[in-house]
Amino acid sequence: MEAFASTVARPPRRRLRERLLGEHPTAWAFIAPAVVIILGLTIVPVVWSLLLSFRSSDLISPSHSVGLGNYKALVHDKALGAAVRHTLIFTVLFVPLSVAAGLGLALALDRRIRLIGLYRTLILIPFIVATAVQGVLFSFIFDQRFGVANSILHRFGLPTQGFLGDPSQALYIIILIALWGSTGFCVIIYLAALQDVSKELKEAAAVDGASRLGVLWHVVIPQLAPITVFLVVWQTLTALQLFDLVYATTRGGPLESTVVIVYYIYLQAFQLFHAGYAAAIAYVVALVLIGLSAMQIIYRRWRVAHP
Amino acid sequence: VRRARLGIGAIVLAGLVAAVVSGCGGGSSSGSGTIELSFWDGQTQRAHKVVEELVGEFNKSHPKIHVSTNSGGVTADTMLPKVTAGLQAGSYPDIAYIFGSDLANLAKSEKLLDLDEATEDGELEWDKFDQAARETATVEGKVRAVPSLVEDLAIVYNKKLFEEAGIPFPKEGWNWEEFREDAIKLTNSSTGVVGTAWPATGDEDTTWRIWPMVWQLGGEVVAPEGEKVGYEGEAGLKSLTLIDELAQAHAIYLDTSAGSERINQVFNAGKLGMAMAGNWALPEFVEGGVEYGVAEMPSFSDEPITIAGPDVWAIFDHGDEARSKAAIEFISWFTAPKQNLRWDEASGSLPTRTDVAKLPEYAAYVKSLPHLDTFIDNLKNARVRPTIPQYPEISKAMGKAVGEMLYARSSPEEALAGAIEGGNAALSSTGIP
Repeated sequence: MEAFASTVARPPRRRLRERLLGEHPTAWAFIAPAVVIILGLTIVPVVWSLLLSFRSSDLISPSHSVGLGNYKALVHDKALGAAVRHTLIFTVLFVPLSVAAGLGLALALDRRIRLIGLYRTLILIPFIVATAVQGVLFSFIFDQRFGVANSILHRFGLPTQGFLGDPSQALYIIILIALWGSTGFCVIIYLAALQDVSKELKEAAAVDGASRLGVLWHVVIPQLAPITVFLVVWQTLTALQLFDLVYATTRGGPLESTVVIVYYIYLQAFQLFHAGYAAAIAYVVALVLIGLSAMQIIYRRWRVAHP
Repeated sequence: VRRARLGIGAIVLAGLVAAVVSGCGGGSSSGSGTIELSFWDGQTQRAHKVVEELVGEFNKSHPKIHVSTNSGGVTADTMLPKVTAGLQAGSYPDIAYIFGSDLANLAKSEKLLDLDEATEDGELEWDKFDQAARETATVEGKVRAVPSLVEDLAIVYNKKLFEEAGIPFPKEGWNWEEFREDAIKLTNSSTGVVGTAWPATGDEDTTWRIWPMVWQLGGEVVAPEGEKVGYEGEAGLKSLTLIDELAQAHAIYLDTSAGSERINQVFNAGKLGMAMAGNWALPEFVEGGVEYGVAEMPSFSDEPITIAGPDVWAIFDHGDEARSKAAIEFISWFTAPKQNLRWDEASGSLPTRTDVAKLPEYAAYVKSLPHLDTFIDNLKNARVRPTIPQYPEISKAMGKAVGEMLYARSSPEEALAGAIEGGNAALSSTGIP
């Protein structure tokens, strides 16, 4: 009786197993594969490379601790500075252009005309093509001597260009290729978002005498704002992580003019055997990326709170 | 019931962990008494097929050992990151194809087998291997790998373009001055023909072609004491100046493609007078159909010194002596004259062993490609890059200097100063750049 009273008075202490595994321990059996994959492929490398960034390591011989040495060294690294500059140029041009082009194309494709399905598919194709294939394709198009691009310029009597072979043009050509490859992504996201723009509002604005441009500017674009923020953040994350296109086209050349941060990390870790230093740079980049993602989350929360 | 289900979950989990951990390993000496070896040959197409044939023959004649071959999932030029990652994770092959220039860094690993014993007891017939290849496979006086492939550079020229320009074909004993004049004469902007070509990515492809010039001028990659670079002064300056002059005259096609494969395509299009090419490019030239000749390297002195780029088979220690022995047994068989010659022909290698010349099949091998004989003869003039861990950084510094010449971005003096500074910094490096 007394025991009964005490259980009524305060809830029973949950058993250890229940506290550790929750009320439905079987659930763990179902999520175990995912947990293993997430731990193995994400958490472990993240922690491991953090530890690596405090060591001098070539991944081959025994490493030793250098404390913050790697982080101190990267402040004075001129080549890293150049890589940061190239990455910023890429980002500043690539992000607004891809988002703006995505919006423009999505608006053009958001109407009922013949063969619209075909057009939408065609816009998506570059996004599906593997980056390595894009790289090979465009190295042929932009080849200095034998490329289609120069042969067209020549036909119109314009001076031929160095393109990927010219240190002052290569980075911009890579931006062009990246735009070709990833605008399709912005288009689909915007097309989906356009389906959500309230018809009533558009009609109401039109009834009130707004021109088509007015409706677009004052009704449609403001409603797309959350998607635009998402795309800007997403494309920025993509831009800061640029690697594969550089690897497939120029390998950082000519004259290191297309070495971007992630390519520099690859060079340091796998060509020059400075894995610890590379991990330190990677961590700084990761912090910037986390910061950007956090800003987007904060924006979303703020928007929900202030509709 | 719930407990039982949880048990199943735990088993699934454990199984997955085990699968992930052991997944990529492969190879062991436990079990049925046969020793399993994994062999990452890094080859594609025909070379890989011949490796598979040879391995099949070995497995048949050696029932105690079973070698399983695959390309390592990567081609030779991306093998190093894969192997280093494998070494970190404790899941690495028994034998892998490694670029000679990467061996010195790999040799810092205790897991790379020391082959001194195998060469001393004669299992591996070390003295039969080519001198240049042996030098590359030796790190700090110890044999750390077995030569797998050797190539050297010579000048491949388009006969028709020489005739059209009215200049005689390159002769034995020619010099760089003649090379420069020929390149300029061959260049013709109206027909789009260019005298010669150089890889312009700024990586090792750009760098290694300058070493023959440096060596001919009495320079070195690293000075004998090992604390400074050896291309200071005239050796470096004259070499860079030559490239600068060719670039200023627009007599040089700059190949910025990754892996510099465009040069061969330009040659095959009949638009390139002279390509500084390795014997690996010959099959492509034959296919291209341009009538070509091959000349030895031009010289600054009397010696037509050229460069050889040997690659190696690296053998890894899995803490199991029987397994290491089996790996050495396999590689000794694989590099024995008969097998060696078949592999040389399939992979486009020059003979990594000198004694294959005595085999009856040798004559057919030499004739397998037009002008292969020039490259083979050339091997006696070949030197190799030093197998030292700092080489990749020296290469980067020199590659930058050559790039600046190709794009006319600085004077040879300035470029050389940069290459010396970068190289010396690498040689006194502490591991943090």
